[in-house]
Amino acid sequence: MKQSITLGQYLPGESFLHRLNPRFKLLSLALVLVTLFFVKTLGGMGLFLALLILFSILVRMPYSYLLRGLKPIFYIVIFTLIIYLFFTKGGAVLLRLGPITVEEAGVIQGAFVVGRLIALVLASILVTLTTTPLALTHGLEFFLTPLKLIRVPVAEITMIMTIALRFIPTLMEESRRLMLAQMARGADFETGNLFRKARNLTPLIVPLFVSAFRRADELAVAMEARGYRIGARRTRMREETVSWRDWVALAASGALLAAVIIAGI
Amino acid sequence: MAVRRLTLIAFFTALIAILAQLAVPLPFSPVPVTGQLLGVFLAGTLLGGRDGCLAILAYLLLGAAGAPVFSLGRGGLMMLFGPTGGYLWGFLPGVYLSGRLQEGNQRPGAPGLLTTAGATLFFLGCIYLCGAIQLSLVTGYSASEAILAGVLPFIPLDAAKAFIAAVLGARVKKIMHAGGLLQSCAVNSPEAVRD
Repeated sequence: MKQSITLGQYLPGESFLHRLNPRFKLLSLALVLVTLFFVKTLGGMGLFLALLILFSILVRMPYSYLLRGLKPIFYIVIFTLIIYLFFTKGGAVLLRLGPITVEEAGVIQGAFVVGRLIALVLASILVTLTTTPLALTHGLEFFLTPLKLIRVPVAEITMIMTIALRFIPTLMEESRRLMLAQMARGADFETGNLFRKARNLTPLIVPLFVSAFRRADELAVAMEARGYRIGARRTRMREETVSWRDWVALAASGALLAAVIIAGI
Repeated sequence: MAVRRLTLIAFFTALIAILAQLAVPLPFSPVPVTGQLLGVFLAGTLLGGRDGCLAILAYLLLGAAGAPVFSLGRGGLMMLFGPTGGYLWGFLPGVYLSGRLQEGNQRPGAPGLLTTAGATLFFLGCIYLCGAIQLSLVTGYSASEAILAGVLPFIPLDAAKAFIAAVLGARVKKIMHAGGLLQSCAVNSPEAVRD
C-alpha cells in the first residue's frame, strides 16, 4: 500500500484551455467525444489525433502524463490489434504465416480503432490536466443538477466528496497502523495463496470499517454542533465567470461535430 | 437525510478509495488483484441502495476530478470515458440493485449470507454488462469478443471477491450492531424518520 497519495493531476498554466470555465470545458469535451464516434475514415482519425496533439503541445503536456494515461488501456490496445490484424479480412494480403494472414482491411481497421482509443484518452487527459480538481468538481456538479428531479441530494454529494478527500489520508494511516498492530499479534499479510491472503485481510478490514464508522459519527456530531444543516443554501467563495473564450470553445467543438458529420470523414 | 448518514456515506467513499489501493500481484496475469470491487460490494451490503449509490457517485466523481482513488492509484476523466469506463459506470446500477435486494430486513442477523452473496453476484453482473457495452462501443468489438476479452477472464476472481465481500459484510454488520453504530445505518431508525 502506498504511504501517501498526491491528489489531482492538475498542471498549472495559463493556456487557452486552462482559462475555460469548467462547465463549458466539460460540455466541449462531451461534444469532442461524440464527434470521435462520427469519424469514419483512418485519415479523419489521423487529423483528429493531430489536432489533439497540437493542443497537448500548446498546454505543454509532459510525456509522462500521456504514458500514465495510456497505461490502463495498454492490454486493450494489444488485444484490439490482435483481433483486427488476424481476424478482419479483405484487401491485399500483407503478411502470410502458414494459414494465418494479415490483410489490408485488418491493418486499416486496427489502426483506426487504436487511433480512436488514443484520441479518447488524450482528449480526457487534456481536460483533467488543465482543470483544478476543485473546478472540475464544480463543473461535474453542475451537470448533476438535473438529478435533483429524482431527489438526489446533489449539493450534499459535493460535501461527501470533500469529507472523503479529507479523510482518505487519515484512514490510510489508520489502516497502516492496524496492519502493524495485527502483525504484532501474529497476523500474516505476506505469505500464502490468494485465498489465504484474502482471509487474512479480515482482521484488517473489519476494525478499519468499525473505526471509520465511529469517526463518521464523531464528525457528524461536530458538524451539527457547528450548525451544519442538510439542504441549506450554500454559496461559493469563488464564483465562476463565463467569458468569450468559453463560447468560442463551445462553438468550435460544435462546429467540429457538424463538420465531421457533413464531410463524412 | 441526517448529518450522521452523510458522514457515514462520506467515510464509505474514503474506504472504497483505500481498499482500491490494496493490490496483490498475480504470478500469471499482468493485472494485479485489487480491493476496489470489495469496497464497492460492501457499499451495497452496508449502506443499502440509495445511500450506496451516493457513496459510489461521490467515488466516481472524485476519480473523474483527477484524485487517484481508482484501483492502482488511477484517476482522471479518461478512466470513465476510456474503453474500461463501463466497469466503473456499472457500479451505479449495480450498487442500487444489490442494495435494494438486501434492504428488506434490518434485523441484526439479516439479510442472510445467501441473500447477500446472491445480490452481490447480481451486482457483478451489472458491472460486466455495462463494462462490456462500453468496451464494445469504444473498440468496435463484437458482443462475443467483448465478453471474451472483458468478462470471461475475470469471472473466477471477481466471484471470489463477491463471496469474500458477502462474508466480510455480514461480519462488519454484526459488530456494528453490537456497538450501536448501525443505528445510524438502519433504514427505519428514528433519524431516518425525522427527515
